[in-house]
Amino acid sequence: MFSNGDEIFKISRLTIVWLAGIFTIVWMVCWGLGIALPMLLTSQLGDKAALTNEILRAATPVIAILVFIPINAMFMVLIERRALALWTVRKGPNRVGPDGNFQTAADAVKLLLKEDITPTGADAVMHTFAPILFFAPSVFGAVPLLAAVTNNHPLFHVLNLPTGIFFVLAAGALPVVALVMAGWASNNKYSLVGGLRSAAQAISYEIPLVLSLITVCLMAGTLDLVKITEQQAGGILNWNLLGGGALTGLNNALAGGGAKALATSYFMGPISYVCAGLLVISLIISFWLYLTGACAEINRIPFDLPEAESELVSGYNTEYSGMKFAIFFLAEFTNLFVVSSITTVMFLGGGDNPIPPYILNNIPGIPQMVAAIRDSYFCSTLHIINPETFFATLWVIAKVYGLVIFAVLIRGTLPRFRIDQLMAFGWKRLIPLSLIVFIIVVFAREFVICHG
Amino acid sequence: MANLISRAFGGLNEVRRGLATVFKHTFREPITKNYPDEMPDLAPHFRGRLALTVNPETGDHLCISCKQCERVCPDKCIEITSHKSPETNKLELIDFKIDHGLCMFCGLCTEVCPTLCIINTNDFEMADYSRESLIYDLKKLTLSQDESAFYFDRKEMPLPKPKPAKPAPAAAAGAAAKPADAKPADAKPADAKPADADAKTVEVKKPEIKDDAKPEVKTEEAKADAKPEPKAETKPEAKTDEPKADEPKA
Repeated sequence: MFSNGDEIFKISRLTIVWLAGIFTIVWMVCWGLGIALPMLLTSQLGDKAALTNEILRAATPVIAILVFIPINAMFMVLIERRALALWTVRKGPNRVGPDGNFQTAADAVKLLLKEDITPTGADAVMHTFAPILFFAPSVFGAVPLLAAVTNNHPLFHVLNLPTGIFFVLAAGALPVVALVMAGWASNNKYSLVGGLRSAAQAISYEIPLVLSLITVCLMAGTLDLVKITEQQAGGILNWNLLGGGALTGLNNALAGGGAKALATSYFMGPISYVCAGLLVISLIISFWLYLTGACAEINRIPFDLPEAESELVSGYNTEYSGMKFAIFFLAEFTNLFVVSSITTVMFLGGGDNPIPPYILNNIPGIPQMVAAIRDSYFCSTLHIINPETFFATLWVIAKVYGLVIFAVLIRGTLPRFRIDQLMAFGWKRLIPLSLIVFIIVVFAREFVICHG
Repeated sequence: MANLISRAFGGLNEVRRGLATVFKHTFREPITKNYPDEMPDLAPHFRGRLALTVNPETGDHLCISCKQCERVCPDKCIEITSHKSPETNKLELIDFKIDHGLCMFCGLCTEVCPTLCIINTNDFEMADYSRESLIYDLKKLTLSQDESAFYFDRKEMPLPKPKPAKPAPAAAAGAAAKPADAKPADAKPADAKPADADAKTVEVKKPEIKDDAKPEVKTEEAKADAKPEPKAETKPEAKTDEPKADEPKA
């Protein structure tokens, strides 16, 4: 059965080494700028360093994101190519470096050194601004997520917005403008068709996407990403994926509350149980609606009509080369990452461990291990990382990259939609379904004690 | 409404099946090979570059200039120049040109050749910089003795009978029938009949070879510059194959 062990080993080694590398680098940058340098300055200068420290603390998350995005995009391209090769029974990149692991680095160097061409008749200013406008939202849209995925680490407090998910969605709607801009400014009919298709598609699929997230916000009673994450803490039964708190009563009962906990959560008896079941189903549907809408939103197969190679040459980025094309490319993969992070935060409990604490704390060794990490020199003196952030980050990484790999699997499986099928699917299926789910949730949550 | 729901679930089920199928490919060996690093396993009857064999034992050129291949070639890419030797009254080969730029590798010439001289080798890497360099002349086409032995072995062709040392009867026949019209009738009875019989046996053998799937036969491209190694490597394997080929006969 495991006749392909070699390739599986290569892809797992790549994933583990790269991810460990990326996150160690990014975290060391954060720690150095946000914790170590201020500590040093305070010990040397005393109170005079306060202003500098504030500036450093504010700059840390931004620099962390800017360090993270290019390395992460390089990794994601490579892992996507490898995983796709695995699933289409091919060999992936295997020429550059050991087992082809430097392929994306070589590609990046090539793209950066290429000539930057602006076609004749193109609107040069628009042509230059389009990739920037495409890339910027994926940077600043990801900002509120950082606080949520690191278990509200003090370094990233500054990023947390009370209207978190609203801000993320608003930022996520901006790239459409950039795509239309790129298509229009390229002076190329394929680009223009690609840009217009992208606009049509984004408008159609934004609605089910937002409706599914509104459902979650309705269950949570807040837009704040950190609060939504904190509500879901305490095991898989508390996650928004499974009813957004509808199963919390069950969870409490299992944790030791017994029948009393059940009676407080499901106070209406049988009606409450039925409603809890409806909520679970609705939110699972919501989860899939969100994934579908997000797939369309970031123009991935099966919704990659704006850049369908067989129909439009390359869609909106036909006329782009060199740096500008690299930015488009970077932004696409960053968008995939951001979308996966949103899914993780909104549905999969952020950095929450799927195993509930009442089981985890009874496993011998785990509480001792956490305590040992907390008391170690690294945590207590150097403040490199505390166990909460560490384990939360590990779970976030696992969940987010799991979703990324799932998107790659979908890309390897499903063919592209036709444009009329795409529109019909969006308007006639997804939007009614999301509205139905929304209405069910509005009524059903009155009969169950939920997060919100 | 019920129809719509059942269709939705049917569609989702199809998507799930597709995802499962694709995911199962994780555990399959990749079909692609690292081609320039590892050469593909080619069948013995793979139709690659055309070449002319010599007798593996004596080194005599096997072509008798019968021009069958030139006649049968659909692309007209073979051009044979020969002249009639005044002494033996037989055709002698002067030049043999194949334009591989025109050739479509149909293999008709190899089937029609009475002496098993023209064969399809297993070499397929013929990329070149100009059309002219794809026209191979006699020197480029003729294989060495070792390479010929390799291909005779590999394609399981019967070894050619050594040329009957009969200058006297040939000369006598030539003297008897001098007119030019008689040349095919003259040349064939003397030389080509045994070869024809051989060709027939080859044709009989072919289906048997096809039935005997031999996946372990390793292909080595017998390039002109690397002849000793492939021969040394493949010969024992070819020998182990021979009993297999004989089994159905017995």
